[in-house]
Amino acid sequence: MSSAHRVKITYCAECGYEPQTLDLAKALMLEFGARLSSIELIPWEGGTFEVSVDGQLIHSMNRDGGFPEAAAVKDAVRARLSGSSR
Amino acid sequence: MTIDRSRFDHGMTYDAYKAQMTRNRERLEENEKRVDLGKEDLAAFRGLPRPVKVLVLAEDWCGDVIANLPVLGRLARESGKLDVRVFLRDQNDDIMQRYLNKGQFKSIPVFVFFDEDFRELGHWIERPASVTEIRAKRRNQIFAAHPEFGSPDAPVDVLPEEVRVRLQGELAKMRDETTKFANAEVIRELREIATRVAA
Repeated sequence: MSSAHRVKITYCAECGYEPQTLDLAKALMLEFGARLSSIELIPWEGGTFEVSVDGQLIHSMNRDGGFPEAAAVKDAVRARLSGSSR
Repeated sequence: MTIDRSRFDHGMTYDAYKAQMTRNRERLEENEKRVDLGKEDLAAFRGLPRPVKVLVLAEDWCGDVIANLPVLGRLARESGKLDVRVFLRDQNDDIMQRYLNKGQFKSIPVFVFFDEDFRELGHWIERPASVTEIRAKRRNQIFAAHPEFGSPDAPVDVLPEEVRVRLQGELAKMRDETTKFANAEVIRELREIATRVAA
């Protein structure tokens, strides 16, 4: 049985990272549909742009620099999905 | 790439910049009101032997622009000695490339001071190091005082929403409490550059 998979995107609202946040959320919605149980968008501050899948941080602007490539985030989600369906 | 009179004059005045902002204008103007200009600082700017031109790189989504550009705006308005022209960072990459933070980051705001013959007097980027330092220290103190906030380096999305909201409140309070110090540091650093102008 597959488990629920959650994606959280924490973005700096002061910085105006909404377009990048929405683009990434849309890419994940279109790619994975109902296979994700939720995509949570968290407005934050301090130049933050972080993406986690099931509690695992897969991109941090602070740590990795810049915005993530949507393809890389999709790969990380896909890895979680395939891991749980084995 | 050099900045000359013709290029400089293409920039927006401070008021024109504010008029074209698509977000955060209210916050910027609120910060403008909160700037406390001391008599001595104001006298130093009013007493500049010649007017100084200040080229600004900015964008309306940047928190440091919203915090620090109003300080320059108030100094310009109340001294009558600073001719400010604002350029949007993302439309003026040639200027940005010349003033990268640590040679690699497109940090803003950038304030570049020139004399009337466009000789550069100095430039200022983003925020004072002293402000970054005190806010980092205060941030660490907040986390130390509230174990429920977890590690200062951990992603905030692991916190329960209610805890996250409280953390956000604490950080906002800390920023508010350090604003007076931050503005004074900006004024001190800008004054140091502007007063390099020769008589």
